[in-house]
Amino acid sequence: MKKIVPFGGISLATVALFFVYSCLVRSGSTDLALQAQLVWGTNNDKPDDPKLKEVDAKVTERLRTALKWKNYFEVNRQNFIVRAGTPKKVKMSDHCEIEVENFGNSSIEVKLYGKGKMVVKKTQKIKPGELLIFAGDDKNDTAWFVVLSQSEK
Amino acid sequence: MINHETELRLQAYLDGELSPGEAKAVEDFSNSDADARSLFEELKLTKSLLAENELEVRLPESRGFYWSKIQRQIEREEKGQASEQAETAATSWWLRFLAPAAALVALAVLVVVALRAPKGAEALVALDDSHEIETPLEETSSFSFQSEAAGMTVVWVDSHRE
Repeated sequence: MKKIVPFGGISLATVALFFVYSCLVRSGSTDLALQAQLVWGTNNDKPDDPKLKEVDAKVTERLRTALKWKNYFEVNRQNFIVRAGTPKKVKMSDHCEIEVENFGNSSIEVKLYGKGKMVVKKTQKIKPGELLIFAGDDKNDTAWFVVLSQSEK
Repeated sequence: MINHETELRLQAYLDGELSPGEAKAVEDFSNSDADARSLFEELKLTKSLLAENELEVRLPESRGFYWSKIQRQIEREEKGQASEQAETAATSWWLRFLAPAAALVALAVLVVVALRAPKGAEALVALDDSHEIETPLEETSSFSFQSEAAGMTVVWVDSHRE
């Protein structure tokens, strides 16, 4: 018996439309401007290295609300752009490096390397104003931080 | 021992269906044959029991009116069944059409609503909003925590140093 409406065709078309739309949404945003800061956290008032400057007051305040250290000093800062589908490696120090991949729609994958070995990999969205922080403890009750955020335009 | 033909004749005699001559012959036979007599008495008793215990049904209206009522009832039920079948056929056609159509519309709406959020707002379903963490080194472990108040996610890496 001939079908009045070709439901099979409609269903197939809808599924195809869904995937095409998903792909378009996923690839909606292309370049992502990011900032990475290597930060040293301590309870001392002054850093061991006098050349280090204090982290921006707003960021410091936010770090203090969630972390135990009193003062945060910036060791290095990198601004960079990550194109969708092209991972970007950024050197933060002699021993620390990050690799960021842009999945589109503000979704990123960050690989943290220590002495050339991948230590941790994290995938998540990073919205404007939000911070993605990788951290670990250091000697004398201090800690290191790699603070990632979207660059302010 | 009496045969089936004789049994039938005895029954017919009891029901008064035989001619006087035949009736006389059957009566004589039953009087002379013990089996025939016994069967006749049994049939007679059965008939009397049925006649006495059968309920007499009296129609509340005339016979013609009674049967015409039954005929009308049958016709009415036939018409009802026909219209019900037609209605069922129409309903099932629409169901066949509407069910997949509604499913497709619902799917389309879900796709649009889920993936198309207003500017600055979070989509209801973000396909790529995955939060995965992986620590490949054995001597290293990690965990992450999120502070909504500070708007930050912290991935804490523990290298198990002594």
